Amino acid sequence: MPTWTAEVFQNEYLPDGATDVHAIVTVTSAGTGHAGDVGGAAEAIIIDCSGSMGAPQAKIVAARKAAAAAINEIADGTWFAVIAGVGLAEPVYPPSGMVQADQGTRAAASEAVSRLTPRGGTAIGQWLMTAQEAFARTPATQRHAILLTDGKNEGESAAQLQAEVQAVTGEFQCDCRGVGADWDVAELRGIATALLGSVDLIADPADMAADFQAMMQTAMGRGVADAKLRVWAPQGAELLFVRQVAPTIDDLTDRRTNVTPLITEYPTGAWGDESRDYHVAVRVAAKPVGAEQLAARVQIEVGGEVVTQGLVKALWSDDSALTTRINPAVAHYTGQAELAQVIQEGLAAKADGDEDTATFKLGRAAKLAAETGNEEATQRLKKVVDITDADTGTVRLKRDASKLDEMALDTSSTKTTRVRPSS
Amino acid sequence: MRCPQCGEPIGASDAFCENCGAPLQASVPDRATSGGLTLPNVAQSGEEQFAPLHEEPDELPVPKCASCGGEVGGDGWCTVCGARASNGREHLAEQPSPTVAAVTDKGRVHPRNEDAYAISTAGTWTALVVCDGVTTATDSDVASLAAANAARDLLAAAPRPGRSPSARETHWSEQLKAAALAADEAAEKTASKSDDNPPSSTFVAAVADGSVIVAAWVGDSRAYWLPDAGPAEQLSVDDSWASVQIAAGVPREEAEAGPKAHAITKWLGIDSPDIDASTSTTIATTPGWLLVCSDGLWNYCSSADDLRALAAKQPADPLARAEALVDWANEQGGHDNITVTLARITPEE
Repeated sequence: MPTWTAEVFQNEYLPDGATDVHAIVTVTSAGTGHAGDVGGAAEAIIIDCSGSMGAPQAKIVAARKAAAAAINEIADGTWFAVIAGVGLAEPVYPPSGMVQADQGTRAAASEAVSRLTPRGGTAIGQWLMTAQEAFARTPATQRHAILLTDGKNEGESAAQLQAEVQAVTGEFQCDCRGVGADWDVAELRGIATALLGSVDLIADPADMAADFQAMMQTAMGRGVADAKLRVWAPQGAELLFVRQVAPTIDDLTDRRTNVTPLITEYPTGAWGDESRDYHVAVRVAAKPVGAEQLAARVQIEVGGEVVTQGLVKALWSDDSALTTRINPAVAHYTGQAELAQVIQEGLAAKADGDEDTATFKLGRAAKLAAETGNEEATQRLKKVVDITDADTGTVRLKRDASKLDEMALDTSSTKTTRVRPSS
Repeated sequence: MRCPQCGEPIGASDAFCENCGAPLQASVPDRATSGGLTLPNVAQSGEEQFAPLHEEPDELPVPKCASCGGEVGGDGWCTVCGARASNGREHLAEQPSPTVAAVTDKGRVHPRNEDAYAISTAGTWTALVVCDGVTTATDSDVASLAAANAARDLLAAAPRPGRSPSARETHWSEQLKAAALAADEAAEKTASKSDDNPPSSTFVAAVADGSVIVAAWVGDSRAYWLPDAGPAEQLSVDDSWASVQIAAGVPREEAEAGPKAHAITKWLGIDSPDIDASTSTTIATTPGWLLVCSDGLWNYCSSADDLRALAAKQPADPLARAEALVDWANEQGGHDNITVTLARITPEE
């Protein structure tokens, strides 16, 4: 049986008249088992086989190897299919639907992917719909896909793509990868976020096989098919936001469904043995000094049962030694969320030719990355800007920044570093 | 603590077992009636004819929030408005004999009472225990009650020494140190594994065995000997930052008013650095009062002589006197939880 814990990090002391309560809730799962332990698992591997995948040839060669590496990790009994993304999607293996993995089917699938050839356009929404049709023909309840592309979605309209993503949202999770410099980070991030998956850049095709292997291993290690985050806030309170802040930033606020007038629920997908941090902000009515109240219950729900709960409290005090303390976890993740935002906004401004805004935003990013000790972000920023002074956020845009470095900065902007708050 | 129905671990303030859903709050009214005074919400009014008081209802009603009437969740907080459910300790009083009494009160500022007392008396033997839950830690009210009860139970069950004052002093010093350890163990058991701010509590206990009075403490709750004649004594020496300052020569008033005056250097609980209780002994030569109290009282009247003068103005009955001292502390602002336990001591011939 999986075990769940929820730990709350906050300063519950509010000064007189204050209304906003912030907390970081760390949810940890252990003993979750393996994918498919409950209800069976299914995997789809979707490989972009548009014409551009052959230029250079290294991309399609790497994609064949990566697909084979992922296939090799699929556990016996797991339903799976490999789908080629051409103008429309075509099954690679099996010829239709899905098969259950065993030595024979894995070998047959590996053999089939070795013959993948570039020959079509990019219509990601179509590919996702084809994967959904294959998933629907299995009894498996835990469904996950890996999607590889090297280009923008050009074979269908943006509205069409959006409708198709919406149609499969909640049906399966999808980790998305882009290879090369010709795909659109924001577009793929939108798909991955909606489908509760990760997004990343594979700058060097040679790294693709290891990445695919790791993604499939992670997927196979998720023994809890579907968990939901539930947040209770008291009557009259306003839930300002609910945000996953580690391992990546993901604003969940708009994905809420109402369970009761006081309880909202957010999808979190499948869980392995792992830890995720959530930032919850609630606005409550101010109470007199000395009063306390519960500001939020943050719960994880699996199969209709609440399996763990963290309590977020508010306690009004006139002791400024207590009320002025800033919780280090809340401060850290507030900074990391802003860091992700200013990186994305700065790069978007740069792409639009608005150099003043880009310089300002990326300067702010350099300052935040330094302040929050996010060394990885600092290193990636340095490839796009010259940091004159991180303390003041003074930077100059690099004239010779490569598209791949900008994309690497963009895709990794939502990855956060963790703090363990000192007590 | 464990659920009486399924045996799974439960928190002492849980209204329901998390595992099986069994209601757990049946004991609250019992606790609240022990002193027979100012008891809210004891089911007496509004009872229907067909539901006699002595009969157990088939199902305990879901606890209702005192603030909004909503249901109280298994976590002890209202599921509608978020108010914390009462722990049943807003005001408790107890008088087990004509010479011994205890009162604890939430005070006027804190949202709940995290102080706890536990007392026991038989003949000329009395034990008074007070534990003050540390407000900045989680569920300290649970820890303080468990600690006080554990110490009292150990003392009440301890063998009684002979009549020699030195034998009594040695014996009760040892027993009180053991009681502090038992109290710590009980407090630690209330902590959950993942708690980054585990419950903690102060500890003070005094045993009067005839004329011999022995006190033991960890933290800044206090024991005083207030004789009718002769100098009054503070038996305990706070384990606190203020004490360290006083020992270094800072005047008491100044040290106790400092910003860190209430920072304690010893406490009970899982994160405690040191639980070795200090002890001291006095011999009663005239009648007087043994007072064991939390800082909710002594904050407003620290010196032993001032306390004696204050107590002397109050009624002679121990319960009425303890209530009056609590009222007085509330009138001074009631900034903290207030616990007063008193025993009238008459020296042996």
